[in-house]
Amino acid sequence: MNKLIWKKDITAEIYTWKSALWLLLTAIIYSVTCYLLLTNKELSLLDQTEMLWLLAKIIIGASLLVAIIDASSILTVEFEQETMEDLLISPLSVKDLIIGKFLTVMTVWALMYAVAVPYVLVSSAGSGLGPAFLAYIALYGTLMVGGFTLFVLGLSFLYRSFKNTLTTSLVFYLAVGIPALFSATLKANPFGSIISVANPLDAVFSSLDNILVDYHTALTANATYLASVAGFVVVAVVFLAVSVKVFDRHGIVKE
Amino acid sequence: MTENIIIDIKDASKSYGDRAAVRGLSLSVAKGEFFGFLGPNGAGKTTTIRMLTGILSPDAGSITVAGKLVSDKLHRAGKIGVLSESKGLYEWMTGKEFLSFFAGLYGIAEADEAAEKLLAEVGLKDRADSLVGSYSRGMKQRLKLARALVNEPDILFLDEPTLGLDPQGQDSIQKLLKRLNEKGVTVFYSSHLLHEVSRLCTRMAVIDKGVLVAEGTLDDLRRRTHKDDLRDIFLSLTGPDAEPE
Repeated sequence: MNKLIWKKDITAEIYTWKSALWLLLTAIIYSVTCYLLLTNKELSLLDQTEMLWLLAKIIIGASLLVAIIDASSILTVEFEQETMEDLLISPLSVKDLIIGKFLTVMTVWALMYAVAVPYVLVSSAGSGLGPAFLAYIALYGTLMVGGFTLFVLGLSFLYRSFKNTLTTSLVFYLAVGIPALFSATLKANPFGSIISVANPLDAVFSSLDNILVDYHTALTANATYLASVAGFVVVAVVFLAVSVKVFDRHGIVKE
Repeated sequence: MTENIIIDIKDASKSYGDRAAVRGLSLSVAKGEFFGFLGPNGAGKTTTIRMLTGILSPDAGSITVAGKLVSDKLHRAGKIGVLSESKGLYEWMTGKEFLSFFAGLYGIAEADEAAEKLLAEVGLKDRADSLVGSYSRGMKQRLKLARALVNEPDILFLDEPTLGLDPQGQDSIQKLLKRLNEKGVTVFYSSHLLHEVSRLCTRMAVIDKGVLVAEGTLDDLRRRTHKDDLRDIFLSLTGPDAEPE
C-alpha cells in the first residue's frame, strides 16, 4: 500500500519537474562551492580537510532545506487538493500514507546524495578521507533528513496547509541552524554548550569536524554526536505520533 | 424490512465546535434501495455521508453499514463506494492512471484492466490517456463516479453527484446509477434537487438544520405537506415555518 503512495508521489515529482529542479539547483550550489574553494584566493588557502568540512555543511544544509520544502507540500497537497478524503475512505491506513510520503522524501534525499558524490570524491582526492566522508554524510544526512521529514509531516497533519507548514518548518530550521553556526567562543559558555549538545545540526557539524579535521573517523569516537541526532529523530517520531492522534480526533473536517 | 436493512443510523449527532451539524438523526435504508437524502445547502447532508463512510465519527448515536459499526473502521475495507463532495482528483494523472492507482489501493490485482473497464462504463474510454486536468467538469464527475465504483461496491454513497453538470451530464450519470441500482447496488443519493431525487429514488428523507424533517416516498411527502409541486413540498418541509416530523 505504501509502495503505491510512494510510486504516485515520485511520479508526481517527475511530472511536475519538482525533483529535477531541486537536483539541478543542488548541483549548481555544489559546483559553485567547489569552484570557489579551488579558485578563490582566500578559500583556496584553506586546508583540504577544512574545505571538506565546509562542503559537508553545505551538502547537509542544502539537503535539509530541499527536504523541508518537499515534505511541506507532499502531505498538505492531499488536503489542499481535497484528495485526502478519498484516500482515507479507501483501505489505505494513515500509517501507510505516512510511510509512502516519508519514503518519497527520502528518495529525493538519496538522489541529492548521489549528485553530491562526484563533488565529494574530487574534493577529497588524496586525503584518504573520501570513504569516511561519504559514509558519515550518508548517515547524518539520512538521520537529519528523516527527522526533519517526520517533524514536517507532523506539522502537515496539524496545519493541513502548505504555507503554514512551510513557514513553521523554516522557522524551526533556522532556530536549529543558526546556533550551529555560533563561533567556538560563544559555544564555550554554559548556555552555548547546552544548546550545542541539544542541537542536532550542531552535533552533526561538530562530528564532521571531529572526523575531517581531527581524523576521529570511528563510530565510537562520534557516539555523543550520534546520540544527539538519534534523540532528535525520536522526538520527531513522537511529535508525528501526537499529530496523527490529534488528526484522528478531529477527522478530515477541521473545527 | 428489518432483516433487509443495510444502512442503519440511530440517534446520530455531530457538532463542529458549538455548531450542531446533525442532531439526533435516525433512519434506515433497505438493501437494493435507491434512497434520496434531501436538504438545502448546509443542512447536514455531507456531514451525514462523512459519518456513514467513517471519515467523521458521530459525537453520539451509532451508525451501522452492511452490518458493521462504522466506528470500528472495518467497513472501509468492505464494499462501499463514495462519490464525495470534494474535488479529489490528481489532475496530473491520466484518467486510466487515476483509476489504476485507486484500484491498487483496493488490492485489485489487474488494476489497469479494471480501470479500462470502468472508463468504458462511464463513457470515458476515448479519454483514458488524457490528463485529468484536461477533462471537462462533467467528465471529472464521471471519473469520480468510476473511482467510487472501483471496488465493485454493494453500497454507493453519492454526495451531490450532478452538482454543476449540464442536463446531458446529469442524464448520463443518472442513467448509469439506475443501471447499477437495477443490478442490486444500494444507492444513498444526497442532493438538494427534489426533482432529481423524485425521478430516481424509491424513498427519501429530508434533513434541515441537522434534523430529519420527513421520510417516506414522494406520495408520503405529498400527503404530509398537502402540496403537489415538488418545489412547494421542499420549501414547505425546509422553509422557515417547517415543523420536524
